[in-house]
Amino acid sequence: MVSSAERNRSRTGAREGAMGFLTDTTLCIGCKACEVACKQWNQLPADDFGFTGHSYDNTNDLAAETWRHVSFVEQIADGEGARPTSLRAFQSNWLMMSDVCKHCVNAGCLEACPTGAIIRTEFDTVVIQQDICNGCGYCVPACPFGVPALSPIDNKAHKCTLCYDRLKGGMEPACAKACPTDSIQFGLVDELMERAGQRVASLNDRGVDGAYIYGDRETGGTHGIDGLNAFFILTAPSEVYNLPAEPELPQDKTFSGYASTILAAAVFSIGAALSLRGR
Amino acid sequence: MVMSGEFERRWENRRQRVRTAGDEARESYYGLPVIHKAHWDAYIIVYFFVGGISGAANTIASLARLAGGKDSESITRIGRYLSTAMLVPSVVCLILDLKKPERFLNMLRIVKLRSPMSVGTWILVTSSFFMGLLTADQARKDGLLGRSNMMTRTLQRLPMRLIDVLGIIPSLFLAGYTGVLLAATAVPLWTKNHLLMGPLFLASAFSNAAAAIALIMGLKRNDVSDAKHRVERLDVAAMMAELSLLVAFKSGLTRTEAAPIETGRIGKVNRFGVLVGGIGFPLLLHGASMLRGKHSPRLISILASTAVLIGGYLFRYVMVIAGHKSADDPKATFEMTRKR
Repeated sequence: MVSSAERNRSRTGAREGAMGFLTDTTLCIGCKACEVACKQWNQLPADDFGFTGHSYDNTNDLAAETWRHVSFVEQIADGEGARPTSLRAFQSNWLMMSDVCKHCVNAGCLEACPTGAIIRTEFDTVVIQQDICNGCGYCVPACPFGVPALSPIDNKAHKCTLCYDRLKGGMEPACAKACPTDSIQFGLVDELMERAGQRVASLNDRGVDGAYIYGDRETGGTHGIDGLNAFFILTAPSEVYNLPAEPELPQDKTFSGYASTILAAAVFSIGAALSLRGR
Repeated sequence: MVMSGEFERRWENRRQRVRTAGDEARESYYGLPVIHKAHWDAYIIVYFFVGGISGAANTIASLARLAGGKDSESITRIGRYLSTAMLVPSVVCLILDLKKPERFLNMLRIVKLRSPMSVGTWILVTSSFFMGLLTADQARKDGLLGRSNMMTRTLQRLPMRLIDVLGIIPSLFLAGYTGVLLAATAVPLWTKNHLLMGPLFLASAFSNAAAAIALIMGLKRNDVSDAKHRVERLDVAAMMAELSLLVAFKSGLTRTEAAPIETGRIGKVNRFGVLVGGIGFPLLLHGASMLRGKHSPRLISILASTAVLIGGYLFRYVMVIAGHKSADDPKATFEMTRKR
């Protein structure tokens, strides 16, 4: 008999005792309490006030000063391009998701960091140590989800810390604390995975066909990433929420890249020696 | 108060004119980028260029000494001085990119083989050591350090042949690792052909360094024309390798992934600056001389080498800037990460 914890670990590869988020988008009402609570607790400066013009989402993106971002997917047109004339019973043509750092089991940003500023904590979360980050910016394109960003204020990389300071004090992260619908749940990844599985089954029973978990070894946490400690329940293709379906761990290409370069270096050196040979 | 202008809202990435927000919301998140692009600008592009020349110039200098025979001394001499002269701006560019110079020291806290940025830092340190010694020895041979003092005596006592051979390894890595640095990211244009990136940057570095050495020889009045001819022969071989790697690189990309290097201003720079101006034109000039069985005339040689160097810089410019465009294109990211 396999225990549920073991079964869930095989789903994500999360280490024992890993803490994370389950963000259930079917419960999100788009109130942005998580964004505000995050800004407040982490003392993050306001970013640009302005209208994006494409939707009700004026936050737009995760950034150095924005560690939670609620996306508003308005399904304005159906597959044929016609405007819907009635509201759907469930989610009424609106998808909302509070996006956050995924705290990957194998994190691209962490592996890219040349200073060791990005560490894995005792909670199995991924944190950028601000006194060590030197602002090289390599973690920024190395994240397959577009999470870390350089701040124009101090030129260092910033992202969600999963409220490391609050966890140390035995409190749950500010966003999960503030979420009024429990769309954001905090806990042990094993337990959250178990709960997410039950929730998806229950949604399917009640007629929500498309519900699935994003962030296990099948979707999201794919190709070497091995699972996300902050994972999601989605009801539409991940691309709609701006999440890649099968991202890869970029550093899996490092050694094969070195190998082909060494091979080329050998060939070119022989070629160069032949070109340069003289009497 | 934070200036709003400093924050990037990415207005330029909003939906294309012909598409409705409804279209975009079905396939992507209103056409917004999925991943974040790197901040790399001129400093990093210049670093890629001069760092490549530095590594390849020292390699050429060493290979010329090992395989070139007696009249290759001028190649070795120019290669050595060039490698160190290009190493200095490399380090300066990297430090300037960090905004605060002392932050560079944080790179030296750890060694991390999975991170090409960390490996590259240590390669730069190792290269500085070898190139510094080899260039100092060259200066001693050229009589620049005086006849007999503590420095010349110390240099004479060192096993220079061994240092020369060992120095080839970090030099080659310095010339090529930048390709792997770009490949180990989530940017579609850089990572799609990850096996070709290192060889591509290496071939380009070889051709740039050979062109720079040939240019210096051409500019000097008393050039040794056979040595120069051999360096140009190396340049031609490197350009052919670069060209075939570029063709392979292009054919490995889908239409969406290739768009940043084919369309718009960057597409023009790539076509006319890199391919025609930086590879085709100099190949034609050298090829014409070779067909006539003669060494290139001095002016032609200077022209060809200059074209190669401009093309080499533009190649790195195109790769970096097109990478930013690629990162900003959600279609490219989704195409690469689609469910298989």
